[in-house]
Amino acid sequence: MSSLQLYQLVALVLLCVGLYGFIWRRSLVGMLICLELMLNGAGLSIVAASQHTSADAVLGQLGALLVMGLAAAEATLVLAIVLVVTRRFKTSESIRVSELKG
Amino acid sequence: MEQSLAKIVFYAYTAVIVVGAVMAVTERGLVRSLVGLIATMFGVAGLYLLMAAPFMAFMQILIYIGGVSVLIFFSIMLTHAAPTGDEAKRRPLRKRINAIFAMLVPAAVLSVGIVKHGTSGFEKPEAVSLPDLGLGLMGPYLLAFELISVVLFVAMAGAVMLAWRQWGRK
Repeated sequence: MSSLQLYQLVALVLLCVGLYGFIWRRSLVGMLICLELMLNGAGLSIVAASQHTSADAVLGQLGALLVMGLAAAEATLVLAIVLVVTRRFKTSESIRVSELKG
Repeated sequence: MEQSLAKIVFYAYTAVIVVGAVMAVTERGLVRSLVGLIATMFGVAGLYLLMAAPFMAFMQILIYIGGVSVLIFFSIMLTHAAPTGDEAKRRPLRKRINAIFAMLVPAAVLSVGIVKHGTSGFEKPEAVSLPDLGLGLMGPYLLAFELISVVLFVAMAGAVMLAWRQWGRK
């Protein structure tokens, strides 16, 4: 197996473990951690694809850098949303927050 | 010699990544789960070094380990998440089945795609020089670079607005 395929398999492992945890976790913070796992896998896959093929390596690295920037922005917003949710519902459990009132 | 050494280092980093990811998903306490996530991030940084992208490894450590994990730690502290809290409760069997199904479907489809139809590519990647990356940011990808700064600014301003204590009180 070539090294490109090995890197892509590691990225796939990160994606799958992250998806499992995203469904499995109850709290919003736990879901955020699993989301970061998946984004790490995405960055790894992009950089591996650009470094090990004849694709433009600058484009791959800058694309992965943009993924990191988006992950940082998303983590900031999720922090604020989790803060508001815990203040309002006194819990950050996703199942209780998603119940409708009425 | 060099190739077999690279293989050994690759498998070592992969072991760190897999153990960290499993720890991040299965641990009851969120702080331990965050420690697993940080181990995974270090492993991914090591893989970036191995594929001759040292700038990406540096940015991985700086942004993910230095920034995002601190943010996650703040959200753990602010929600008062105890190891005996929400995460320790039992889940229904249906949830476990759903989670395993959500993991297996992309795993089956994509692993067949990678193993059977993956391109081989080169074995020795070439490092990109830092000036080339900078020229890329200032030249063809200028719009993406400016947009990401706008996104970061909006995210920070939105976070401050959301978390403002007096908001909606009057």
